[in-house]
Amino acid sequence: MRILVVEDDEVAAEYVRKGLMEVGHVVDLAGDGELGLEMAKSADYDALILDRMLPKRDGLSLLTALREDGDTTPVLILSALGEVDHRVEGLRAGGDDYLAKPYSFTELLARVEAIGRRVDPSSVTTKLKAGDMEMDLLARTVTRAGKKILLQPREFRLLECLMRHAGKVVTRTMLLEKVWDYHFDPQTNVIDVHISRLRAKIDKEFDVPMLHTVRGAGYRLQD
Amino acid sequence: MFASVKRLFKSTAFRLSMIAASLFALSSLIMLGYIYYATVISALNQVDRDLQDELEELVTVYHKLGPDELNKIIIVRMLQPGSDMKYVYEYRGQPTGNLNTQPTFTDKKEWNLVKQINEFRNTPSRKFTYQVDEFRGDEKTTTTHRARGQFRQISDEAKLFIARDVEPIMAPAERVRRALFVSVALALSLGVLSGIIMSRRFSRRIGAFNRLAKDVRDGDLKKRIKRNNSGDELDILAEHLNSMLDHIDRLMQAMRYAGDSIAHDLRSPLTRLRTRLENAGSEIEDEAARDALLSASQDAGELLRTFDSVLRIARLEAGERREMLVELDPKPLLDDIAELYEPSCEDAGLDFALEIVGKHKIRADRGLLSQAVSNLVENAIKYTPRGGAITLRLRKISSGRTEISVTDTGLGIPLEDRQRVKERFVRLEKSRTKQGSGLGLSLVEAIADLHRAEFELSDGPGDAKSELPGLRAALIFPKFQRS
Repeated sequence: MRILVVEDDEVAAEYVRKGLMEVGHVVDLAGDGELGLEMAKSADYDALILDRMLPKRDGLSLLTALREDGDTTPVLILSALGEVDHRVEGLRAGGDDYLAKPYSFTELLARVEAIGRRVDPSSVTTKLKAGDMEMDLLARTVTRAGKKILLQPREFRLLECLMRHAGKVVTRTMLLEKVWDYHFDPQTNVIDVHISRLRAKIDKEFDVPMLHTVRGAGYRLQD
Repeated sequence: MFASVKRLFKSTAFRLSMIAASLFALSSLIMLGYIYYATVISALNQVDRDLQDELEELVTVYHKLGPDELNKIIIVRMLQPGSDMKYVYEYRGQPTGNLNTQPTFTDKKEWNLVKQINEFRNTPSRKFTYQVDEFRGDEKTTTTHRARGQFRQISDEAKLFIARDVEPIMAPAERVRRALFVSVALALSLGVLSGIIMSRRFSRRIGAFNRLAKDVRDGDLKKRIKRNNSGDELDILAEHLNSMLDHIDRLMQAMRYAGDSIAHDLRSPLTRLRTRLENAGSEIEDEAARDALLSASQDAGELLRTFDSVLRIARLEAGERREMLVELDPKPLLDDIAELYEPSCEDAGLDFALEIVGKHKIRADRGLLSQAVSNLVENAIKYTPRGGAITLRLRKISSGRTEISVTDTGLGIPLEDRQRVKERFVRLEKSRTKQGSGLGLSLVEAIADLHRAEFELSDGPGDAKSELPGLRAALIFPKFQRS
């Protein structure tokens, strides 16, 4: 993906760029809001990482200007203002996801890749596929290697989220947000427990495990 | 009715005007009392002195000139025009005088001159009443006049009683006395009336101040008092209060801005630190070094989370987000929490139950309330040993309020620590071994406050096997009112 990072903190921007480039993305940097808007308009990016507090032009006004221009590039908003109301403000201004500082790079990566994929032309899908696993979103059924797997509604949504990002890391926070709609971090390993139950249903009877734990980051469903 | 009278008596304005009325009544009492004294008492004293002088003079006449001469002088004086003097002179049982009716002494019914003289020898002057017949044409009216008189036994054979009609003095005295009562009664009743009016007016204006104070305390810093621009003390107080609130509001905004800036300025380098550690950890080949770097990065993450929680609590305590509360049914919210934590409980060897009784409606923020309940459930899981039970309960309590409670059979919290654990960074000794920042219950308390809910900690049902007291943590919401 070609990604534009608009961030005034040079060290943080450099780390983000380095990290994203390591996993094969092309990254441009912009140090202030004006430059960021100019660059976003002049080139076709797959995703934008946008800090809210920027010199010259703040992140939200940049985003609003971009959207008014008809630009639908997916945007991940970064901010030290991690409160839910700020999150709502950011999403309302046209952001696709919101990540509060402090974030870990894996969290950032997972989220950027998640929004970057959203512009797939086949955006209205009724069937998801990962490896030998298939999910029918209308019939609410899951099969692996032709074998039917029975899931509870929440397990279904958990698996759906993992399948939509198959092959990518999905963090615990992302799962809590997307599957449970909670925007706080529980102190316990509550997500791990749900994952291990799901794993018991989808991996136990098969030779090759599909659901992997990525240490210090989250989970990945093998594509 | 009774309550409103009680409230009236409690009102400062009413009390003040009652004091003013009493002072006014007292001063008119003193003033009229003085007028009464000047016009009546001193006049009567003068009468008594005149009687005394007259009596002495007549006694001298008796001794120097003899009883007949005295008789003559008395007759002359009686006949003097305009004289209001009354005389009764008895010599050897032979009376002379112009007191033609029987005098009535207030305490004696019978008129017996001898007896009176003997009884009241030492009293200088006595008051009494007697009948006066007045003729207007053929019509005769009898009126009772007041008078003062004095006795004297001059010798064994002669007795003398002289008196003076004091009706001309007493009639205005009566009027003064009546004026006195009327003015005192008027002063008092006007005082009560003005007290009521004043306290109404005053309490209306003070009420506005109280409402403002309450709103501000509840987190609405934008409220201001409406001034009437009269420039009186209350208006000036309102002006000062408003400018004080403006100032506080500015300070709060500055603080918030500073808080946001600190969050931005501190979190950014901390994030960098963590990213640096993370990146270094993923690049390094050495297993031990990588583990050290990764756990250092996790520590940095922990630090950031604690910092985040403190900021969150501070923001909640400022009450800014109260307007975000919406009407909701807590049942689905608790269903979600139960669904989220049931597997964790099972893994921890705990019985988990969700009990929902009745239909409920509360004013709440889904995200915040979920976080509060999730904190309570996580606490219960953390401090309840294997084999215990946790119950998440939604019910109505006696006052019709909605209660969400989490009950466990775990370690519990001693009575003396229950208030303390709600403070920031307070962790009880026995929980030190467990992970945590000591902010969980403070956050629950802040969320409860925002919802105007009470956060109560009490003993759980206890566990016969483990002999642990257990803990019951309850959030009690105010009765739902459609806004």
